Amino acid sequence: MGQFLERLRYFTRPREAFADGWGELRTEARQWEDGYRNRWSHDKVVRSTHGVNCTGGCSWRIHVKQGVVTWEMQQTDYPRTRPGMPNHEPRGCSRGASYSWYLYSANRLKHPMVRGRLLKRWREARKTLQPVAAWAALMADPEARDYKEKRGLGGFVRARWDEVLEIVAAANVHTIRRHGPDRIAGFSPIPAMSMVSFASGSRYLSLIGGSLLSFYDWYCDLPPSSPQTWGEQTDVPESADWYNSAYIIAWGSNVPQTRTPDAHFFVESRYNGTKTVAVTPDYSEVAKLSDLWLHPKQGTDAAVAMAMGHVILREFFVDRQVPYFQDYCRKYTDLPLLVTLRRDGARWIPDRYLRAGDFDGALGSPGHADWKTVALDRDGTPVVPAGSIGFRWPDKDSPDHGRWNLEEKAADGRATELQLTQIDRRDEVVDVAFPYFGGESHPHFTPNAQGSDGTLLRRVPVRKLATRGGERVVATVFDLMCAHYGVDRGLGGECARSYDDNVAYTPAWQASITGTPAAQVIEVARGFASTAEKTRGRAMVIIGAGMNHWYHQDMNYRSIINFLMLCGTVGVSGGGWAHYVGQEKLRPQTGWTALAFALDWARPPRHMCGTSFFYAHSDQWRYETLQTAAQLSPLADASRYPRTLIDCNVRAERMGWMPSAPQLNRNPLDVARDAAAAGVDAKDYVARALKSGEISMACEDPDNPVNFPRNLFIWRSNLFGSSGKGHEYFLKHFLGTRNGLQGRDLGEDGGLKPEEVVWRDPSPEGKLDLVVTLDFRMSTSCLYSDVVLPTASWYEKNDLNTTDMHPFIHPLSAAVDPVFESKSDWEIFKAIAKKFSELSTGVLGVEKDVVLVPMQHDTRAEIAQPYDVRDWKKGECELIPGVTAPAIVTVERDYPATHARYTSLGPLMDKLGNGGKGIGWNADHEVKGLAALNYIVPDGPAKGRPRIETDIDAAETIMYLAPETNGEVAVKAWAALSKITGRDHTHLARAREDEKIRYRDIQAQPRKIISSPTWSGIESEHVSYNAGWTNVNELIPWRTISGRQQFYQDHAWMRDFGEGFAVYRPPVDMHATRPLLGKRDNGHPEVVLNFITPHQKWGIHSTYTDNLIMLTLSRGGPIVWISEVDAKKAGIEDNDWIEAFNLNGALTARAVVSQRVKEGMCLMYHAQEKIVNVPGSQVTGQRGGIHNSVTRAVVKPTHMIGGYAQLSYGLNYYGTTGANRDSFVIVRKLAKVDWMDRAQRAAREQELHTTIVGARA
Amino acid sequence: MPNDALNHDVALLLRALSALLAYPDAELRAGLPDIEAAIRDARRLDARLREELLALTGEIAASDPLDAEGRYVDLFDRGRRTSLNLFEHVHGDGRQRGPAMLDLRQRYLDAGLEPVAGELPDHLPLMLEYLSCRDAVEMRETIGEIAHILRVLGNALLKHGSRYAAVIATVLALGGEKGLDARAPVPPEQDIDADWEERPAFAPPDLQPAVAPEQPTN
Repeated sequence: MGQFLERLRYFTRPREAFADGWGELRTEARQWEDGYRNRWSHDKVVRSTHGVNCTGGCSWRIHVKQGVVTWEMQQTDYPRTRPGMPNHEPRGCSRGASYSWYLYSANRLKHPMVRGRLLKRWREARKTLQPVAAWAALMADPEARDYKEKRGLGGFVRARWDEVLEIVAAANVHTIRRHGPDRIAGFSPIPAMSMVSFASGSRYLSLIGGSLLSFYDWYCDLPPSSPQTWGEQTDVPESADWYNSAYIIAWGSNVPQTRTPDAHFFVESRYNGTKTVAVTPDYSEVAKLSDLWLHPKQGTDAAVAMAMGHVILREFFVDRQVPYFQDYCRKYTDLPLLVTLRRDGARWIPDRYLRAGDFDGALGSPGHADWKTVALDRDGTPVVPAGSIGFRWPDKDSPDHGRWNLEEKAADGRATELQLTQIDRRDEVVDVAFPYFGGESHPHFTPNAQGSDGTLLRRVPVRKLATRGGERVVATVFDLMCAHYGVDRGLGGECARSYDDNVAYTPAWQASITGTPAAQVIEVARGFASTAEKTRGRAMVIIGAGMNHWYHQDMNYRSIINFLMLCGTVGVSGGGWAHYVGQEKLRPQTGWTALAFALDWARPPRHMCGTSFFYAHSDQWRYETLQTAAQLSPLADASRYPRTLIDCNVRAERMGWMPSAPQLNRNPLDVARDAAAAGVDAKDYVARALKSGEISMACEDPDNPVNFPRNLFIWRSNLFGSSGKGHEYFLKHFLGTRNGLQGRDLGEDGGLKPEEVVWRDPSPEGKLDLVVTLDFRMSTSCLYSDVVLPTASWYEKNDLNTTDMHPFIHPLSAAVDPVFESKSDWEIFKAIAKKFSELSTGVLGVEKDVVLVPMQHDTRAEIAQPYDVRDWKKGECELIPGVTAPAIVTVERDYPATHARYTSLGPLMDKLGNGGKGIGWNADHEVKGLAALNYIVPDGPAKGRPRIETDIDAAETIMYLAPETNGEVAVKAWAALSKITGRDHTHLARAREDEKIRYRDIQAQPRKIISSPTWSGIESEHVSYNAGWTNVNELIPWRTISGRQQFYQDHAWMRDFGEGFAVYRPPVDMHATRPLLGKRDNGHPEVVLNFITPHQKWGIHSTYTDNLIMLTLSRGGPIVWISEVDAKKAGIEDNDWIEAFNLNGALTARAVVSQRVKEGMCLMYHAQEKIVNVPGSQVTGQRGGIHNSVTRAVVKPTHMIGGYAQLSYGLNYYGTTGANRDSFVIVRKLAKVDWMDRAQRAAREQELHTTIVGARA
Repeated sequence: MPNDALNHDVALLLRALSALLAYPDAELRAGLPDIEAAIRDARRLDARLREELLALTGEIAASDPLDAEGRYVDLFDRGRRTSLNLFEHVHGDGRQRGPAMLDLRQRYLDAGLEPVAGELPDHLPLMLEYLSCRDAVEMRETIGEIAHILRVLGNALLKHGSRYAAVIATVLALGGEKGLDARAPVPPEQDIDADWEERPAFAPPDLQPAVAPEQPTN
């Protein structure tokens, strides 16, 4: 047969085998690929992000198929950066990526839930009573309140929305009527992550007069050093600016782990030649990324930073003067300002700043002369540089208008060149005493004794000036600081001749405290400063929780900020202070405050410092081991200070420094009524009654039922869990349920009791009548609540998100409707407002409410108390509201109109305008614009007002009112500031004047915000955002007493507590382990370790620690990291179950034994949940606690200061902080792993069974 | 109608079982007599299962309403082990869960039944109601497909001493599947150490590779 026909002419055989038959070539339709195509197909893609207190603000594509969210992906369409800069992509992390299945997970809250016992009583009462009367009846019956002791022990049932709304609204109405609106409190953190959701609850609370609690200070993420130094809450560079830096120190901040989407800029900066140094006690992720790793003993970092300051002062200011540094410090810091010295025997003590008011004729600048600082000019004569706070708030006809700026001019317009030192022009050299704390003993830290009696005597060149009060001895801040740092300037006395001298604060001195070799400290200090010199300030410190969560957080920070300022890095691109912990930036802030605090309907709102509130009301003060005297400087007059820390807090509230909640020991509505009946203005009535003692402040008696907070709302937060410092105290006193508290209070213990606070025995348990939590998962806080409302998560609602890590505004979008029965926070509070309005009709009407307001920062009230501290109650001064005591303001509330007001923009926006941070502008045009955009309310109490019905309406309201998102407002705001500074700043926004960023715009693509005077940096095509940029380049003063960055803090309390200048202070001894050590033997050896709670890889940020996908990547439950050395001492092997405990309580966890950890400390990652894999504790006999079970909050008096320029109150701006890193725990192996499930189930069955039998009988 | 149409009593029994797994609110309690009637009328129902189901309805009826609801919440609204969402037991929070849910939903739609908002497609009561509208073959096959999940769920309920286990046992019986076993190895609490123990990366062949253990609740 021929070959011809064997061969196919028109075909080839596709299935030809090759590779010995293992392979086969085919050409066929590729339908099989459809499987993959379908797998990735979708009906729509929506842009959203994850809002777990995360600063990521990462853009995500949410894919939806048939109404089901199927997955999420990183979005990669950010606006580009400039040429030469890396762009922002990709943002997002494994935590965010694992979110979407949370949406449908078993942890999801699907229905409104109510504590069964409460609901039973409620339904019973409702059979015969109207809602408000029913709640009143429940509260009047002591037996009916037995639901409190079941908090945290299960027993929830589902309820219908209308029923739960009725319970909540009835409780609120009753509480306002019976106890006062300030007895209703609310807690929600970090508005920037979902600002409409935050605003929903705060708007409702503000309308009804409730107390909104701060979070930033309570989380201990607020760095008080920032308000102290800059008068600014927190303002930091965006992460892209790291790339512009030439030298970065990451200090106590674990960037790759906690700022995952930003960390690439850190890595990329190294390609750019940037030197990177990590300072962390453990071998952390950032240590692995850096050129050099310093690992001082945890909590001693300030000693390292002081030594670096010593080196920099020595080499760059004394041995040699760097022109850039000299110039910067002269113009932008308080180093040239004069401080008066007070004689104390043979020695002198630094006192307050010299003021214009000290001179006859006030050096020609009489307006607010007590608030104008003074320096010496080139010719040695005193001048009043413009820019101090006395120029910020000029009276009507004062010549000081337009003089609040940093031009190098005196008040009279004359050019000046302020002198940093008077060493060559000195009248004398005197011995000045500085407090020294490095010699304090602590069982776990090494002291380095210096000087005598806790003071150091140092030689300081001084000038003698003729003042109104006679001749005054003064010195510049610079001269004092050189002496304080122990830098030898040839003036004799005790100071360091060499770096090897063991003299405070040399590199050798710190080595004995921190364990860090002196040579390393010198190398880093030199490298940092010389880089800053060469680059004109492009050197940066990234800093975070590892530094800020200590009791003496501001010493850690200020010792670093000092060298940042010395090197001229602040306000410079690529330089400065980069604080990244909880520092979220709500960019359209002034648009948001109007909505969030209902400033459009009533002013002022009630704000409260969260830490002081929880310290008082969870009765942590009853167990306080730290006394005031131990914190004072040896140079202070201790007799002027009360015994305990809560006493200090009470005084601060009384003097109008700090806010109060509740405020008075009476219902403020009744107070207003009584004042009206007496025919007296409420302000005078209250002032008189406070003085006579007829009315007192609630803070003086927090354990009196009259002063209990009664209702609490928690939303977007796990307040009792991850955020509940002193968790067990919360359980016992605040909630009144089972707890693992091991300590005894001061009454039982015979400790030092407060003098300003009434001591009550027995201690109260279960202060709160109703706890309402909104969440989308059954968090620890939900377990302890009475009513749990299911909220929409991040793919189910419309909201706004901004961060300081990038300059974009970003949406959260509803990819799907809220699943199950959940609703968005906006809709929930709207529904509560509606039911509240309905139920209040007939019970509450239009009411007058007396509100106490502390002296607020960025208002004229911040210049209230220029000199000594005086307490009216002690007869040291008159009670003058708003000057020596809180301001007293009457606010009118139309309770039945609450819902109408909630859903519309109120008339105060037109009448009073809008503004913030001391700047105000007219908002008429925006109100009209919003009316056109959102339409107006057709009728009812808000008739004619712009509507805010939906979450998108709310988002548009924020963006339309804010300068950051409405260019027209930005120009107005800059113009308003220009009036105060006398310099035209409008050019910063002019180019974008016509731009209005709207909600749908940012759904299409994140948008870069517009420069606004609310912030100290700018958004531009030329520089990355960095804080302080406008201060340096636009000569806008910092919002401090001097208008400059402050090395010195001259308030009497700052000086008396030894922190006029930054010092090293060892961690405080909380005395929480010794009484238990060896007393609860379980047969295993015990070790005492410092308890450190950093941020983790598997939980925060961007998801919670009950996300099993993430937990599976770790050990599946709570873990505590310990060093190999300590593990050996305690006979613990990796993965053993261990118990950590102290007087505050106990927790159980797995041990992770690692070389990474330093001996003497343990790490328990923050925010591990009590609800995942927690066995019983042998110490408490209950299921083990959470990381907060072994902590107790402790407050610091310097954080209570008020009425004093930058040291004035503002919500989340200044206040006491929930420090917890000074805690120590006893760690040992768990002898028996008991899950306690059976016992718990049996108890519950018993409870249920009893009722069945009962029913059958 | 297909030849193999469900007998009316079986369809009603499925509806009753679906209802019994729903939240025991006032509406459900009011329907208990109907449910009990359906259980009694189910001809081929095993006597022991009938007794157990009636014990459950009796318990719901006799309990204080809020206690019955509280018991339900304890069991089904918290945690995973006794979740009524079937994919919780196989996919957990895994990525396969989305497509699986969509496929299931499509199956309902193809049958002309549209799930009304509220529960996910893999919610067991919803699925039982769906089966009550289908033929006997599909019922048996479907129950067969999910039997391994039902057994895990049912055994967990048995361990809890919950009478709700009877509902699962009945579903298995309707599918002709093996019943529940109180001694079946639901991972006991004390075994959690072993579950989470890290396996050697290169385990010898006789060791099973690490299997993701079932999550303990709360």
